[in-house]
Amino acid sequence: MPTISIFKDDFESLLKGTRATNRPVSIEQVEEWLMLVKGELKGHNPETGELRVELQDSNRPDLWCCEGIARQIRIKQQGKSTPYPFLTGKVKPKAKVIVKPGMEQVRPYVAACAARGYQVTSQGLAQLIQTQEKLAEIFGHKRKTVSIGIYQLPKITFPVTYELVKPGETRFTPLGMETVMTLAEMLMVHPKGVEYGGILAGASLVPILRDAANQTLSFPPIINSREVGEVQVGDDQLFVEVTGTDLPMVVLTLNIFATNLADRGATIEPILVEYSKRTSLGKRVTTPQDLRRSKTIPIPTIEQALGQELGIKVVKKALEDYGYEVSAGKGSVRVKLPPYRQDLMHTMDVVEDVAMSRGYAEFTPVMPAQFTVGGLSRIEQVSDRARELMVGLGFQEIISNILGSPEQYSGHMRIDETEWGQAVTVDNVMTLSFSCLRQWMLPSLLRIEAASSRAFYPHRLFEAGDVAIPDPTHEVGSRTETVLGAVIAHASAHFSEIHSCLDTLFYHLGKEYRLEPVLHPSFLEGRAGRILIEDKPIGIIGEVHPEVLERWQIAMPVVAFDLNLSQLIGQG
Amino acid sequence: MEISNIIDSLHPLEIKVLMTLGARQPAVALKSEELAVAAELEPSQLSMAVEWLLAKALIEIQAEIVTPVVSLTRIGEEYYQTAAPIERILAAARDAAGTGKRLTIGDLQAQPGLESSDVSKAVGRLKKEGVLLIIQGGCIETTGRSSPTTEALRPLLEEVHGSSRELTSFSPERQQLIEDYSVKRGNAKEPFRVDERVTRSFVLSPSGTSAVEQLMNQGLVEEVSQLSPELLKDGSWRQKRFRKYTISLRAPRVGTGKKHPYREFLDIVKAKLVSMGFQEMRGALVETEFWNMDALFMPQFHPARDIHDVYFVKQPTHAAVADESILSKVGKVHENGGKTGSSGWGYAFDLQRAKRLVLRSQGTAVSAHTLAASPNIPGKYFSIARCFRYDQVDATHATDFFQVEGIVLGEDINFRTLLGLLNLFAHEVAQAKEVKFLPAYFPFTEPSVELHVRHPRLGWMELGGAGLFRPEVTVSLGVTAPVIAWGLGLDRMAMVALGIHDIRELFTDNLELIRTTRGLF
Repeated sequence: MPTISIFKDDFESLLKGTRATNRPVSIEQVEEWLMLVKGELKGHNPETGELRVELQDSNRPDLWCCEGIARQIRIKQQGKSTPYPFLTGKVKPKAKVIVKPGMEQVRPYVAACAARGYQVTSQGLAQLIQTQEKLAEIFGHKRKTVSIGIYQLPKITFPVTYELVKPGETRFTPLGMETVMTLAEMLMVHPKGVEYGGILAGASLVPILRDAANQTLSFPPIINSREVGEVQVGDDQLFVEVTGTDLPMVVLTLNIFATNLADRGATIEPILVEYSKRTSLGKRVTTPQDLRRSKTIPIPTIEQALGQELGIKVVKKALEDYGYEVSAGKGSVRVKLPPYRQDLMHTMDVVEDVAMSRGYAEFTPVMPAQFTVGGLSRIEQVSDRARELMVGLGFQEIISNILGSPEQYSGHMRIDETEWGQAVTVDNVMTLSFSCLRQWMLPSLLRIEAASSRAFYPHRLFEAGDVAIPDPTHEVGSRTETVLGAVIAHASAHFSEIHSCLDTLFYHLGKEYRLEPVLHPSFLEGRAGRILIEDKPIGIIGEVHPEVLERWQIAMPVVAFDLNLSQLIGQG
Repeated sequence: MEISNIIDSLHPLEIKVLMTLGARQPAVALKSEELAVAAELEPSQLSMAVEWLLAKALIEIQAEIVTPVVSLTRIGEEYYQTAAPIERILAAARDAAGTGKRLTIGDLQAQPGLESSDVSKAVGRLKKEGVLLIIQGGCIETTGRSSPTTEALRPLLEEVHGSSRELTSFSPERQQLIEDYSVKRGNAKEPFRVDERVTRSFVLSPSGTSAVEQLMNQGLVEEVSQLSPELLKDGSWRQKRFRKYTISLRAPRVGTGKKHPYREFLDIVKAKLVSMGFQEMRGALVETEFWNMDALFMPQFHPARDIHDVYFVKQPTHAAVADESILSKVGKVHENGGKTGSSGWGYAFDLQRAKRLVLRSQGTAVSAHTLAASPNIPGKYFSIARCFRYDQVDATHATDFFQVEGIVLGEDINFRTLLGLLNLFAHEVAQAKEVKFLPAYFPFTEPSVELHVRHPRLGWMELGGAGLFRPEVTVSLGVTAPVIAWGLGLDRMAMVALGIHDIRELFTDNLELIRTTRGLF
């Protein structure tokens, strides 16, 4: 998941007021704290103070920023979270965003707020932009479900409207450009238009945000206006909006931005969004908004999952230390996630937070005590036995890729266009060399042979492994079976030499077999045979056709067999 | 070296030469030819044996005798076959005298095969012997006297033809004649050549003498180089001595049958897991998105399901699923949690998407099948599954790789037994005594743990990830007991054990590398 850059002094200043203010904070301390947020320190530049942090949890977008990481640590240090007044529902919105009819067809939802009293620093601005990018890119699925715009508040005249326009008729100067252009032009020439234009593909009308002075603020989810939507260091009044296709995600994203700015000292002013139709949150939606639902969790459920008796007090403390709102009941707790989180799907999510809040080191490992019998599958046992016999017969084992090219698996073998040449192929090919699954083993061994003309002869090679055999009668269109392939290459390699090996193998595997002449394009006519057990073909043996050797550029006679072990034991 | 050691290392040819010299009482020197005849050796065998014995100081060169030897040159062979110039000239002169013809020097020089230098030398010799006279007008006449040179030359050519002879075996007159007609510097056109032949004669050195004595004392024990079935059969090996070898030489290379070093590593891991009570699971290379991801509660909009992360199958694109009940059951869990106690992801589950065929991208798909197939409770399962990722191939990313993963089911499974299991893996698989458990995130487990261990050689490293399967996964597949899902990342350990730095080398086509890589497990 995302890797972000944070700056150590910025991070430390966000921890102000906690026991952790002893500066400078050591890197070891940072690494330990990062466990609380499933973060891993990937790099540290002591000169610039930059820390590269990878955040693992894809369900915790609130942690993909310096403010969120610091908040989680601060709550743990202080043992409680400070409530955000703008999320209590008591602060009345002073400004309005009006959503015009028709938006539901394109990008239905918007959430917005104003932030005053935080003067943007250069590090703060870098964080703001980074958070905007990570949230829109990863949480917002490349801006499809969520995108974010930040503006200079004093330049905006309320109410702002969110409406549809014809792309050829509205124009403004976008960020990163010098001149006024139409929305249609932006989609064609602006880098962001080219990158994200696909989201609006097929729409004859596109969304814009426009203020009461008829000034266009932005063209979501593509680009902001350069006049209003370019925040600079020193600005202390901001307007933040989030648009998207999923209302809870849009609101959550705004909540994260609002709490981040509040943590940096801004006063957040909610904004009223007026829809033309009712949404799941009503027709008039004040944002930011606390969307939390509470959940009752029995203490025994938590204790059982963790394997440890904790008691209600310990559980309550652990969850409060992690930012939850908790009320203790009888043998249970009633919990509410903080308003910048929305990742509570199951009780087990809360269980993990209890464990993380207490620290994994607080739990003593216990061995699972129940008795189980270990063992290998039948096919693995047979394959291991065959491998041992092949080693005893003087063969070197090989491991190859299963994903390869049709040229190697069929073309070089002279079997393309034949029934033997059928293979499972890949739809989204990256390179032809990795575009189909092998349907037999011989090409994997010839690949080694072709690369090894300088290696000490004789060559005796084998591989036992999986192949995929196309089979329309099978649910997934192919069968995965285990095949043993073997080749012998030297100046006088001869059918009887490989035949002896096959014969010995069958003897020790305790199976009767016979050979029946076969015409197979990969082998010399009259020197190839089908391997049959009880009249069922399970493989092929022979002298490899010189034209096959030429195609592989092998200048040494090769004899080979290819034996389907799954079929051998009747598991085909 | 001790004389007995020298004796033990003697080659049979050397022993023959020593014994031949030692057999002459009193000791005499023998020339090479005499030695070859007496010891019944070919000249090449003798010269090898003599060189070895000289190097060991068991024999000495008593004398080097220089003998002049006469042989015919190519011209001499021609004279032998036809006639020497002097013979032809004398015959021509006598012929002319008989018929009364005039014969001049010019006539002789005009004869084919006779050059002026040959003519003048021969005429000069004959004149000197008084056999010919040169009269006025350059005419040649015979005197009727005989020519000793001409008469001696024919038998000489006959005697020397075929093999060389010692010069001293001829009479002084003939020696002089040979001398006159042999190749000298500045005159290569002569029938004879006199070479100096060096003949060495050998005697036993003092240590050679004692070696012979010792060999005599040992009796007539024949030395052999190879024990044979015949020697064993009739017991005659008792009368033989076995030549000692120089065993410090480099051993010749031998072709071997061997497991692949990476497979050997995986076999060890496999054996460890079986010893810990794990049962092996097998799965298919081609999976539906359902088993590969949906069943693991990865939402259909999850980034890891993108076209840039998973290989999709071209034909058929979708599975022919006979029983869709499990698909819709899992679909409900995605949508609203179904009966799992979850609120679900809250999106519209696409049944068709669930049937899309992909190349297995995670081993956990194999575990999902096991969960749905009434597994044992308690039960432990593992698989070493080949998986495919849509990745650019480089030193750390392979498109085609093994995943070692599995599940543990049981009523006693909880977070602490999960940590206990990871401890066990750390000890058994990585021989690590120190472990760290870090919080982690996997879409299908909660709580999730990353296992870091202090490997005896590698230091701190991530060994694997694990967690308790989310009830959304287990309950919808029919399992109500808690289940651990675990996976081990063993490639780095394997690479260190195999001494390689590029993940692609695990599947290398370099046969020499495969044959010579030692796994230090």
